[in-house]
Amino acid sequence: MARRTTTLPMRDRIGSITSGTLAWIYAALLIVPFYYFIVSSFKDNEQIFESPLSLPTTWDLSNFVTAIDQADLWLAIANSVLTTLAALVLTLVLALPASFALARARGRAGKVVEGVFALGFLIPSFAALFPTFLLAAALGLFHTRTFVVFLLPATALPLSIVILTSFMRTIPRELEEAASMDGATSLQVLRQVYLPICIPGIATVLLLNFLSFWNAYLYPLILIGPDTAQRTIQVALPTLKVDAGTDYGVLMAGTLFTLLPVYLVYTVLQRQMQRALLSGAVKG
Amino acid sequence: MTALVDAGAPAATRNPPPGTPARTRRRTLRERFPGLALPALVWYAVFMIGPVVAMFVIAFLSWPGMLATPTFAGFDNFATVFSDETFWAATRNSAVQIVVGLPIMIVLAFLLAFYVVQKPRGHRVLRYLLFIPALISAPATAMVFYAMLNPDGLVNGVLRPLGFDGTAWLADPTTALGAIIAVELWSGIGYSAVLIASRLDGVDTEIVSAARIDGADDWRIAWRMYWPIARDFIGVVTMLQFLSMLFNSAQNVLLLTQGGPGTSTTTLAYLIYQKAFVEADLGYSQAVGVILFVIGLLGMGAIRRVLRATH
Repeated sequence: MARRTTTLPMRDRIGSITSGTLAWIYAALLIVPFYYFIVSSFKDNEQIFESPLSLPTTWDLSNFVTAIDQADLWLAIANSVLTTLAALVLTLVLALPASFALARARGRAGKVVEGVFALGFLIPSFAALFPTFLLAAALGLFHTRTFVVFLLPATALPLSIVILTSFMRTIPRELEEAASMDGATSLQVLRQVYLPICIPGIATVLLLNFLSFWNAYLYPLILIGPDTAQRTIQVALPTLKVDAGTDYGVLMAGTLFTLLPVYLVYTVLQRQMQRALLSGAVKG
Repeated sequence: MTALVDAGAPAATRNPPPGTPARTRRRTLRERFPGLALPALVWYAVFMIGPVVAMFVIAFLSWPGMLATPTFAGFDNFATVFSDETFWAATRNSAVQIVVGLPIMIVLAFLLAFYVVQKPRGHRVLRYLLFIPALISAPATAMVFYAMLNPDGLVNGVLRPLGFDGTAWLADPTTALGAIIAVELWSGIGYSAVLIASRLDGVDTEIVSAARIDGADDWRIAWRMYWPIARDFIGVVTMLQFLSMLFNSAQNVLLLTQGGPGTSTTTLAYLIYQKAFVEADLGYSQAVGVILFVIGLLGMGAIRRVLRATH
């Protein structure tokens, strides 16, 4: 880079300086809020207002204790874990056989079914939040986690099926034919031939859906409601914001607490997570 | 798995010939209709397609609250919607959000992606950072911005020593919508940039260095070479962000301003939410839902037309 700037004309130097400056300004805009809210979670309102960017004087965890206590965050985390895990399992149970069938189908029907799932990318499910709410009521599952566990997989099916089907298409048909000659049923072929090969695809789908299920907000808000015994972490967090006199330290401590699980997963599985996020949109 | 494949050959010879036609018939049926896709299809129809169809039905009903009995209303809801000031305010806000926010987001994301794929010093750190917004939930993002934008928050804390008077960004009608758009840009630029970079990574570097030798500068290489190559893909990313701005803005608005002050941050998506769950005017809400659905399709068509592959 340094070598290039010395040999190139003025206009180029300006060009690359601008895009570089731009990039690092944006990077700063990504980091500063993080720094701000992490240090704020150890301060009280007065310190936050007086000296927003200074390091806290004490690393005192009382804001975390208050946040957890005030919004029942442990319970909310437990609810989120439960909802997310159940929805992840259900998504795979539905998407794996479907992708398997679509990858092997050769007729028109297969194409049509695939098209129906692909259309799902266009459905603005948010606009239909109210009918979804009616559906929950009709099933007798209103204000329960159970309904959200049923609903979230449906929102994730189009993308999961597109990704898994494209993985399963790479498996040679001969492998399957050999297995079914041995008398293996479809489900046995799926489990013993297809699944082991599809592990990377399954990992991608799991990570993508983990993010979207864990971070879901409006659906749980409307469908599970304010009941502390049922609500998820995303619904619990904003309750720390009060119209008159929010304790910002507590709010930021709660936010930090909410982000920890996602960061834990991101740090451990950084590469896989990045690949998942990329394939999520490329396929879409 | 190996055992299965190995066992395949002897099994074929052991099987009596009469079994073969039955199996063939079964397989053709299986291949004609992907039966194992049925559970997923049903699930998807009940939980996704069903509510959308219901939205179209409810839009033609007069339904002034959960406990009231709905009656057929024809186009009354649409007439009410189109003569309502709030609807037009929401349309204006959504239009500003899309027309101002979307091009800024995509152009900046493209320039960032272009910078990152040149592999300057620190590009790995940049790529790591750019993913951050994609990981954070809407409530967490909103809470951080709520703290930064409040009258005593970080933004004013930084501006005051510089001699600027801050404002209550989220409560001031002149800045509230801008603040919402800023939050969306903050979270949208990084992810879009990462996506576009993944496409630009595939560009043949030899053509680029040949162009450099011919004296093309960065600006020209970015817009004359990378942009046309990635154009169709940028179109996909633009559609993604368009839909997300159009529909998901309801979350940010709900978390930060509840549409106010007045109607200055009421977007169409938030209006649907507000009419259904705050004011219980269900027919009105779903009529706006139908309008938003149509706007979504028209917008996607327009983006496709503008950013269609040209080569």
